[in-house]
Amino acid sequence: MEKLILKNITKYFGGFRAVNNVSMEIEPGELYSFLGPSGCGKTTLLRMIAGFETPSSGKIFLGKNEITSLPPYKRQVNTIFQNYSLFPHKTVSENVAFGLQIKKIPKVEIQEQVMEMLKLVKMESEKNKYPSMISGGQKQRVAIARALINKPQLLLLDEPLAALDLKLRQHMLIELMNIHDMVGITFIYVTHDQGEAISISDRVAVMNEGEVVQEGPPEEIYEKPNSIFSAYFIGDTNLITGEVLDVKDEYVELKCKGSDNFYFEIDSAYHFIPNVGDKVTVSLRPEKIAISRNEPKRKDYFNIVPGIVEDILYLGTHTQYIVKVGDLKFRVFSQHKKVYVDEKELDWEEEVFLFWHDTDSYLINEVREEMLPVKNHEIPL
Amino acid sequence: MIDRTLEKIEEKRKNRLSWILAAPVLLWLVILFLIPYLIVIIYSFLTPTIYDIQFAFSLESFKRLVDPIYLRSFYISFRLAVVTTIACIFLGYPVAYYIARKTEKVKNILLLLIIIPFWTNFIIRIFAWRIFISANGLLNELLMFAGIIDDPLRILRTDLAVTMVMIYVYLPYMILPLYANIEKIDFTLIEAAMDLGANRLKSFLKVTLPLSKEGIFAGSILVFIPALGAYIIPQLVGNQDYLYVGQIIAYKIKSIPRNWPLASALSLGLLVLVIVMLILLYWFYKRVIKKENKLFFNEK
Repeated sequence: MEKLILKNITKYFGGFRAVNNVSMEIEPGELYSFLGPSGCGKTTLLRMIAGFETPSSGKIFLGKNEITSLPPYKRQVNTIFQNYSLFPHKTVSENVAFGLQIKKIPKVEIQEQVMEMLKLVKMESEKNKYPSMISGGQKQRVAIARALINKPQLLLLDEPLAALDLKLRQHMLIELMNIHDMVGITFIYVTHDQGEAISISDRVAVMNEGEVVQEGPPEEIYEKPNSIFSAYFIGDTNLITGEVLDVKDEYVELKCKGSDNFYFEIDSAYHFIPNVGDKVTVSLRPEKIAISRNEPKRKDYFNIVPGIVEDILYLGTHTQYIVKVGDLKFRVFSQHKKVYVDEKELDWEEEVFLFWHDTDSYLINEVREEMLPVKNHEIPL
Repeated sequence: MIDRTLEKIEEKRKNRLSWILAAPVLLWLVILFLIPYLIVIIYSFLTPTIYDIQFAFSLESFKRLVDPIYLRSFYISFRLAVVTTIACIFLGYPVAYYIARKTEKVKNILLLLIIIPFWTNFIIRIFAWRIFISANGLLNELLMFAGIIDDPLRILRTDLAVTMVMIYVYLPYMILPLYANIEKIDFTLIEAAMDLGANRLKSFLKVTLPLSKEGIFAGSILVFIPALGAYIIPQLVGNQDYLYVGQIIAYKIKSIPRNWPLASALSLGLLVLVIVMLILLYWFYKRVIKKENKLFFNEK
């Protein structure tokens, strides 16, 4: 198997720059995701790898071979289209057989391979049905079989689960991972759904406005966002802007507008080290903040701030609290675990304490003046 | 139980309603289509007189149909219809495809351009063609001006002229149903085919063409049937050495000595040709699907 290498890919549509100077290397057998909001250039990038678009500048290599301007039918790359694009005039098995028929492989061999593929995606029983007669999830499986039968070096998946409902989506996600493990080829997965990208990928490229904002394993992207965009786009977060008051050993003291000072531990291995007076942003995930009406006694929490509960939203697996701390609003997720049996639920307007470890937050060397520290359920980007 | 009864009543009501809605058209078709055709069939079995008919049974008209003169007429009419249909498919398909892939706004303008000739009277358009292709017409003038020919070509009153004008007149009838069909094709299917290894030609042959065969079928019917009975175009631009079936029918009806039974028999002959052609087309249409399928898993 070969490595996919993108070198300085830029793509213009008229005067619009859809992809801007993207370079990346995708290892053989990797499950790699392009994640970003619609219009971020992820689909354009995928279409250039598939051969449907040619880059305005830059080069694409598959191993040592340059494939930049090779037509799609000459690339060892197959695509799962967003709407599956099954041929409506062909049955399930004929759809799967298409690629091999084009290659003029003997009929007996085609039949064998088609059956094998249909078995892989558990669609043997539907082989004589037409696409209009099968469900969305089944179409998805047929599309996968139709692509994989060509034994591509690369399988491209363009928002493959977008058309399915939630339960089926979760199911197909696991199935996709299983198929990836079974066939072992490189998958490139395009999605705007951060949940999908984080749960199945080996590595994720977060994209915005045609550029790769951050690239790395899902945990790294979630825990150590390198930019406000990454932090906001993936998961929920509290972004706190402030000025660095003090840098002492591994601790940073941050002065926020309208609130107490916060402390952060930083590790020079993966944090940037700010200077006193720098303006920075801190990303603090809501699930990392503890909330209680009692002030914690133990001193292992560096950050303990008093606040007032402003809003409570019960979400089944957890409850979301909006807590006013000075002029800031914090979003806090709390699971329904009680420490004491007779503990009472928190109520509106109640005075509470928020506390978190100094290692729970992540420092971002970027400030957006126009942005409020916390916005509920909105992405101001 | 009550539900079932209610359902039945509802169904009956719906049936009655659809009958009422369909009645005017059915009546129209019976009075103006079915009954006249029955009259034609009856007339074909009667005996002709110089002015009209005599009510005496005769098979004479049908015997005359196999006369080489008429067989030749059938042959040239059939040939004209086939050539026109095929030429319209080949000329119309790229146009329909081109329009179908344009943006909504451009599509509407282009479709309007296709329809605009209908705003001018059919006869006037044919006379315009006569002037255009005549010995000292624009076409010959242009060819001579360009130095391609020295003497004017004889185009008017040839089979070529008939075919050209037929194609011109019937092309929109091919383009419109083809466009309606191609427009509905999901063009990502072509990308899918290319992704799976088919080059442009193969993805056209294996995906686009099979998916547009309904349009080709509909367009062919719309062109072939009227083309088979062509009368006015051969009359105005054709050579009159031999006549097309439509022309013969017209002569036998209007010029004395009249022969209405023969005219009726000739039009029934055209009907048979149409039916034969429809069966052929249908068979071809089915075969295209079958061939595509190649009976993959026929154990079931």
